[in-house]
Amino acid sequence: MKVFITGMGAMTSLGNSVDEMFQGLLDNRTGVRAYPEWAQHKGLFSYLGAPAPDFDNMKIPRAARRSMSRMSELATMATIQALQQADLPIGEGLNSQRILLCMGSTTGSPVILELYFRKLFEKGGPEGQLSTSFFKVMNHSVPANVAAALGFHGPLLSPSSACSTSAQAMILGWELIQSGFYDIVIAGGADELHYITAAIFDIVQAASRGYNDRPELSPRPFDRARDGLVVSEGASVVVLESEASMKKRGARATVEFCGGAYVCDGTHMSQSNASTMTEVMKLALTRANRNAADVNYVNAHATGTQQGDSQEVAAIREVLGGNVPVSSLKGHFGHSLAACGALEVIASVKMMENNVLIPTRNLVEVDPECAGVAHVQQKREARIRTVLSNNFAFGGMNTSLLLSSGK
Amino acid sequence: MNTTSSMSNEQIVSQVNDLMHTGFEIPRDKLVPTATLFDDLGMDSLDAIDMLVHLEEKLQIKVEGERLKKVRTLADIYGLVGEVAIPSLQPQSEQSH
Repeated sequence: MKVFITGMGAMTSLGNSVDEMFQGLLDNRTGVRAYPEWAQHKGLFSYLGAPAPDFDNMKIPRAARRSMSRMSELATMATIQALQQADLPIGEGLNSQRILLCMGSTTGSPVILELYFRKLFEKGGPEGQLSTSFFKVMNHSVPANVAAALGFHGPLLSPSSACSTSAQAMILGWELIQSGFYDIVIAGGADELHYITAAIFDIVQAASRGYNDRPELSPRPFDRARDGLVVSEGASVVVLESEASMKKRGARATVEFCGGAYVCDGTHMSQSNASTMTEVMKLALTRANRNAADVNYVNAHATGTQQGDSQEVAAIREVLGGNVPVSSLKGHFGHSLAACGALEVIASVKMMENNVLIPTRNLVEVDPECAGVAHVQQKREARIRTVLSNNFAFGGMNTSLLLSSGK
Repeated sequence: MNTTSSMSNEQIVSQVNDLMHTGFEIPRDKLVPTATLFDDLGMDSLDAIDMLVHLEEKLQIKVEGERLKKVRTLADIYGLVGEVAIPSLQPQSEQSH
């Protein structure tokens, strides 16, 4: 059974709609800015982040908004965009046991977690805690709040695997549509910017420290002068739909979601592993019923870390050879964590629709350790038929998926 | 629990209404003493709990949670605050959420 993407929504550091976001990519803009105020946090040395632009959160009714942190607000706005494009109703008309809402985040709100525990320690107990705080920090805060905002009361799942969260949500959605359990899966992820998120990576020396005074120059995926990732925020949501449902509704597809795979390393929490990356890409090709020769663009996960980028290049080279164009969009967006998988799928769909390859921003001199693949360093026209998109995460998470334009 | 108050009834009404408007986005013209929290003002049990937390913080008072269960109208809130408000404390700045 074929599965298609019929709707997309994005709230990103490059803009709060799919079109704004993609225009930002076409213009080679960056969402990264400096946060010199983070220097006050002892032990933190990375002062860069990529926030989503402000938006009118008052569009979300207060009764729903009161239990939302920023990540849930971003996810709600992105979900509404995706449903609108898919021509699906918002509210009672959406309710069906054949529609799954499947999205997650890295953690509950880091902003509220800090406030919650700060107050807990100050007061010596839970005195003064708002009843709604927990609904902002619980692990399934994002989909639960999106459901409440939409009035959706169908099936809901909340996969969470940090930076591969939305990739896993989409692949899981594809599996469940394939299995016949659902006709439609609304899949995605969201995260919000907070200094502790930068600190998580900085502690393991994976965050960019050398460009605090030149935010536009970092992160630098695959570049010789890369020094780590830059955390971002955002929400991205796609509507996956079976071909039968699409035809029944008269919905218009963007591209085919051909399938994907997820495999864990089971060896190390933070060190990337080219061997498992290779395995997951091969498995994704098999499950998507595609050959390596079909792939004519790779959207890499590459975040700008020393090891992650080089390991991914080694895996791409092993699976696809050295001639397939490869780029990473982290140099534009920063790393939006749970959102990045679906966001990069959406960006890839727009590249396919517009026959253009977006280059890796800040890739000036390819690191010899990242050589051997066809890095895209300039925007260029291209007819893109099949995309392979990778996402990896702490915990040894590896995901890979394929899209086809059918051109 | 603290009792008595140097706050006038007008000050209590003003402080409570400011919170209901800024914190819970209730239009000021709906903030009449007879308004019921749930039916007229669209609040629910979570809002009631959070309203109490905000009032306690804003006015530096302490209200037993059990007493909240008997509150039905905005006038009941004014009365509850009037009973427990601490005389010496000045109102603090608004917080929205």
